[in-house]
Amino acid sequence: MSRYLTPSKIGLLALISLYTESVVPSAATIPILSFLVSHILPVNSAASQHTSSLQARHVTLAIEDFQKATISYVSGRPGRTIWDLLLDKLWKINSFDALHIFFDTLSKLLQKPPDEQQQDAEDGTESKSNHIRLSRASPMGSFVRRAQLEFTRLQFHDGVTLWRKFVAYRAPTLPQWKKRNQSADQISFDANLQEEHLNLGDRLTDVVYGELAHGAGHGASMSTEDMEKLLEYQIDQMQRMGNRLPQAMKAKFRAMLDIGVTVPNLSHYVAFLDAWRSGDYPSSFDNLHRYFDYTMHNRDRTFYQYALLNLAILHADFGCHSEALAAMQETISAARENNDMGCLNYSLSWLYHFGKAHPEEMDDIQKKGVLGTEKEALAFLKAKAKETSMWGLLSTSLLSEAKLALSSGDSIAQAFESIVKSSHLNVTKNVANAAGSQMSMQSSIFGRLGVSCQAWLSGELFLQCYTDQSPVEDVVHCICRSALLLAQRGKYDDALTRMEEVDEETLRTLRHSQYWTSNLGLIKLRRHLHRNNLVAADMILAQLQAPPNLPQDLQFAIANLEIDLNVRRGDYSKAMDILENLASRLIDGDADVFQRIKVMTLKARIYSKVGIPQKGFSVALRAASLAHRARLLPALWEAIGAVCAILISLKEFSAAAKLLDSIMPQTLECEDCNLSAQTFSLLADAHMGMAGQTKAETLPRKEQMTKALDNIGRSFDEFSRIEDIKGQCEMMAKKATIMHLNGDPVLANDCAAKYLDIKRAAKDQR
Amino acid sequence: MASNTEQLRRTLQEAVVKCSERCLYQSAKWAAELSNSLPETPSTSTSFNSDPDSQMQDADLPPSVSTFLSSNPDPEEARLEAQELSKYLLAKSYFDCREYDRCAAVFLPSILARGPLTPTSPNAKTRTPTKAGKGKAKESSPNSENGATPLSNALPRLSQKSLFLAMYAKYMAGEKRKDEENEMILGPADGGGTVNRELVGLARSLEGWFADRAAKGLEGSNQGWLEYLYAIVLAKGKTDEDAKRWLIRSVHRCPFNWGAWLELSGLLSRFEDLQKIVRELPQNIMTVIFHLYASQELYQYTETTHHQLNELERFFPESQFLKTQRALLFYHSKDYDEAESIFSTLLHADPHRIDGLDEYSNVLYVMAARPKLAFLAQVATATDKFRPETCCVVGNYYSLKSEHEKAVMYFRRALTLDRNFLSAWTLMGHEYVEMKNTHAAIESYRRAVDVNRKDYRAWYGLGQAYEVLEMHLYALFYYQRAASLRPSEPSMWQGVAKCYDMVDRPVQSIKAYKRSLVAETYYNQGSSFGSSATNGGASQGVLSPQTLHAIALLYEKMGQLDEAASYMEMTMAQEGPGEDDDDEVRGPGTGVTNATSQARMWLARWEFARGDLARAMELANELCNDSVEVEEAKALIRDLRARMETGRSPS
Repeated sequence: MSRYLTPSKIGLLALISLYTESVVPSAATIPILSFLVSHILPVNSAASQHTSSLQARHVTLAIEDFQKATISYVSGRPGRTIWDLLLDKLWKINSFDALHIFFDTLSKLLQKPPDEQQQDAEDGTESKSNHIRLSRASPMGSFVRRAQLEFTRLQFHDGVTLWRKFVAYRAPTLPQWKKRNQSADQISFDANLQEEHLNLGDRLTDVVYGELAHGAGHGASMSTEDMEKLLEYQIDQMQRMGNRLPQAMKAKFRAMLDIGVTVPNLSHYVAFLDAWRSGDYPSSFDNLHRYFDYTMHNRDRTFYQYALLNLAILHADFGCHSEALAAMQETISAARENNDMGCLNYSLSWLYHFGKAHPEEMDDIQKKGVLGTEKEALAFLKAKAKETSMWGLLSTSLLSEAKLALSSGDSIAQAFESIVKSSHLNVTKNVANAAGSQMSMQSSIFGRLGVSCQAWLSGELFLQCYTDQSPVEDVVHCICRSALLLAQRGKYDDALTRMEEVDEETLRTLRHSQYWTSNLGLIKLRRHLHRNNLVAADMILAQLQAPPNLPQDLQFAIANLEIDLNVRRGDYSKAMDILENLASRLIDGDADVFQRIKVMTLKARIYSKVGIPQKGFSVALRAASLAHRARLLPALWEAIGAVCAILISLKEFSAAAKLLDSIMPQTLECEDCNLSAQTFSLLADAHMGMAGQTKAETLPRKEQMTKALDNIGRSFDEFSRIEDIKGQCEMMAKKATIMHLNGDPVLANDCAAKYLDIKRAAKDQR
Repeated sequence: MASNTEQLRRTLQEAVVKCSERCLYQSAKWAAELSNSLPETPSTSTSFNSDPDSQMQDADLPPSVSTFLSSNPDPEEARLEAQELSKYLLAKSYFDCREYDRCAAVFLPSILARGPLTPTSPNAKTRTPTKAGKGKAKESSPNSENGATPLSNALPRLSQKSLFLAMYAKYMAGEKRKDEENEMILGPADGGGTVNRELVGLARSLEGWFADRAAKGLEGSNQGWLEYLYAIVLAKGKTDEDAKRWLIRSVHRCPFNWGAWLELSGLLSRFEDLQKIVRELPQNIMTVIFHLYASQELYQYTETTHHQLNELERFFPESQFLKTQRALLFYHSKDYDEAESIFSTLLHADPHRIDGLDEYSNVLYVMAARPKLAFLAQVATATDKFRPETCCVVGNYYSLKSEHEKAVMYFRRALTLDRNFLSAWTLMGHEYVEMKNTHAAIESYRRAVDVNRKDYRAWYGLGQAYEVLEMHLYALFYYQRAASLRPSEPSMWQGVAKCYDMVDRPVQSIKAYKRSLVAETYYNQGSSFGSSATNGGASQGVLSPQTLHAIALLYEKMGQLDEAASYMEMTMAQEGPGEDDDDEVRGPGTGVTNATSQARMWLARWEFARGDLARAMELANELCNDSVEVEEAKALIRDLRARMETGRSPS
């Protein structure tokens, strides 16, 4: 594999020289030039998405591409297309020496350096031809100069290899060339052979052009430079999107790398990323070390800090937190030493996020005061990001600020301000890959505020607009989130189809597939719980608890459902144990408020289930006040529900009813069927209680009873929407009781029959 | 004829086996090539020499030349060889793996004290052979080189074959070490001063061995191989006459060892040496081949040589070696087209053959055939890019492209591969001259000359380099050497003449110039018309105007104006009769050149001074027409007019 030059580059050079000879008519100038430029310009990773993918597609340029690009244009010479002229030019390179001459004469395409120009002016030898001279600094000029330089650098045998590849590359055009040039024949690719009247079978030809004579063509001829470009593109994709190499692509890469003797170092990095994503811990370490061993001192820069950075992230990914922290601290000090601001800021921000995810590991860091308190750290990061204009970092820092504000229960407006700032940055500075986190942040704020439809909308918006440009991780998260929202509304099938929307390729990454399966498990578990299919639920739960290193929120959700399972089984003491266990982990001040409230509410609910609701009073009240402070509205409604249950048990029915009535609209807004069912059921209970307090057979009692029935009906609807058998049965039982009280045995019987039907149906479904 | 051929073939095959038994690979290759170039005879031979799997047929051939091991007619040697067969095989396989020291150690248990070049090494003679030394009487003979210490044969009792292999391995080990010590080409350690440290030990033991044999009266059964080795050692020690003597002895005993002949030809520095030596040589076909080769190396491209070659080609019609010699003869006589066509057919016949391609590339270089040279380089690279010949071809190509840095790189590579590769040293010198690095050029040329004292191009190059440094007396010496090697080359004499001129010895300078003129005419007779591409306008019957002009100027310097004038006239005469349009009419003359017009100018002035104003006027007018120095001519005409107008006063 040559370093830079390939047969296709010779083709480009020939086309450039044609262009400078002014035989390209003005109609064809723009297409030809754009064809040239699209292959000459280096891939600019900072440029927009589309151009870079375009470049990658054209990394090997077949002779047919030249034909396609040029054959339709008539040249300045009558009767000839530009393709004809190009062929003429290419076939005139008819020996290795001619190739040398071709490269030597390339300098005539360029403008002379200023001193020579002056010399010419003095001598009066200014050439008056109509040749276009390329400026030395123009893209084409620098391409020509680079090609010339690379050719000079070639060793003789490398030159010969290039020549032979070129001959093979050009060979398919022989028939076309023959049409224009009758004398051409099988061996006219080398004038020396023609002169000696040799043919393809001759021994001498065999020595020089062995494989050509036998018709064995090379594969696509690539230069190391092309290969590196391709690998860079690949790494860029992998890092930005966080996905793995598709299998077919991997095979192709391997085949390409097998041709060349010099394996570009970057290929080790690709191997590292791929192994990492596939969760192959030892080989990812191996490849990372290999890569950095080869490139430790490259182009007069040391990459020690980057090696450490990668190492730290890798460690963290595989759950070795303390190693990760040690490596990251080393990274920070190395980056400081080498004055590498980009690396430093990135590692600090990483450290911050790591601390958020794993607060228990951070004691050491806190003590050393690398970051100070959270707020200080964020302010520092923001300032640094602004200083070095790392807009991506600034955007994420702003998001983190919003998150911090939310979790510590600060003002919502402030959080929104941060989000909007970040959004503004994303748009103005074109930080496309930060859009994902910003949108999901927005969605989660709306979720917290209980505006479910808004939360849903932002998720949809993201999926519609930013899927192609965002890290795969964000996409997966967003899809899971919206699926959960669907499940909350009882649309299990929709939720499952939504989950299936995730690209199969994506799931080849271990982390993504873990996240995805956990979420899928959660949805299924919830459905089974609701259907009272406890055995299946138990199984799924066991599966869910198996993988280590799940994100904290997932772990929490799983624990939640486990408690639910135990409650449904009636094993309250176990449920309580798990709850206590969970609560003790959340005692830390840094824990998410939402989870704490959730735990408290659950506790209150368990107490009410076991018949001692008053015991949960203080917990429920605290939960309510906490939720209120943190503007966690769904949690607040749930907590209020718990409080109301206590009120009902204290026979404070009217107060409970009043409270529930007032929260009802907003509860409905949350679109959480379970919550609304529970609330309706409570409301029914309250009304029932109020009915009990009135005299029998009076209008108020009837009124209350009707209200209770009404609410029971609504609650039943909600329960049936989420397929909650137990809830449905309960409601039916209540309804039957009320009917019975009303003295309407037929209707009561109906309800009882329905109750049995539901139970049977659930059993059948199982 | 047929039986003769058959016998020759058999002898050559035997020689191949013997050479390869002794790990003399190149000689074996040469002999094998030669044996295969014999004409095919019907019946037996077809299956015998062209079929690689001929071992099966070997069995039923009565004389039974074993392809594995040669038999030895000497019963004593045969007994010894049979005895040490397994050890010998071990040693040979070590040698084949290039483990020279280990190979030597199989037969010579650390007996040859290698090491410093102290004239005597006491250890060598006091220490008795540990293993095989029991029966060996310590006979001593007066040492011719360092007479003080008597020499004993300290070698164990071995067959000559094993002994040769062991000693040769020692020698090779020393050569290898020497090359390693030299480090980089032209680097600080590469002064040509490092020597093979094994030589002393080898010389002493061999001498002892020979003395021992002589004393026992066994000299007659010596096989000739050890003589060859001894001669090499002697030649390395710069005792050429002794080396020659031993080589002649060796070729008498085993004439088919081409390596010995090569060494012998390397020791001849003049054609007279060859003539002297011929009488002492055995009378067989190898001597004829040697004579031809040596003549070629000494640039004797005469009819007799060609005749000799024709004779040989009757025996070996297919021999590539002989064809190469023919091509080289043509090359020396500047018949490049002929040489090129021979080389080209050789290349077509065997495209994998790299031997001699460097010479081919020289021919192409002189012909300035760039595409062909590139193609040749391509062919050579395809076969083996790490052969010194290949590197030279590539270097020549780059040199022709004026990419001198790259050319030097390739010549250096050739030298790294083989430090004794003569033409690379010379060519590298040329490149350094082009790059104006005179000191490196001088060193390169010097190394070339050290390897082969017959290389006139290196001598000439040295002369040029010193001329550039304006050390003319020094340069003179080198030019003289070059001229003595190639007396028929005018440029050598011109160099000599120029230097004589510079050191103010005009008489000798004129003589040298005249020699150069003689050489020129010689060429014009000897070579065909088309080959004169490099020599400017030296076509038939025309002498170089520059040379004539230079002679004229020298005469002028010596005050012999009449002589000078006559030479100026001669210079002018070289323009030829049709001097109307210098470019188009390429008659027998050179046309107007710088030298001729300067001569005309001089003559015009001279006539003017003598008072022959009419002729001066005529010449000046001619000058105005087509010369380089129109302004001067016009000034002269003005003077002339003035003089004519003022009345025909005497000068």
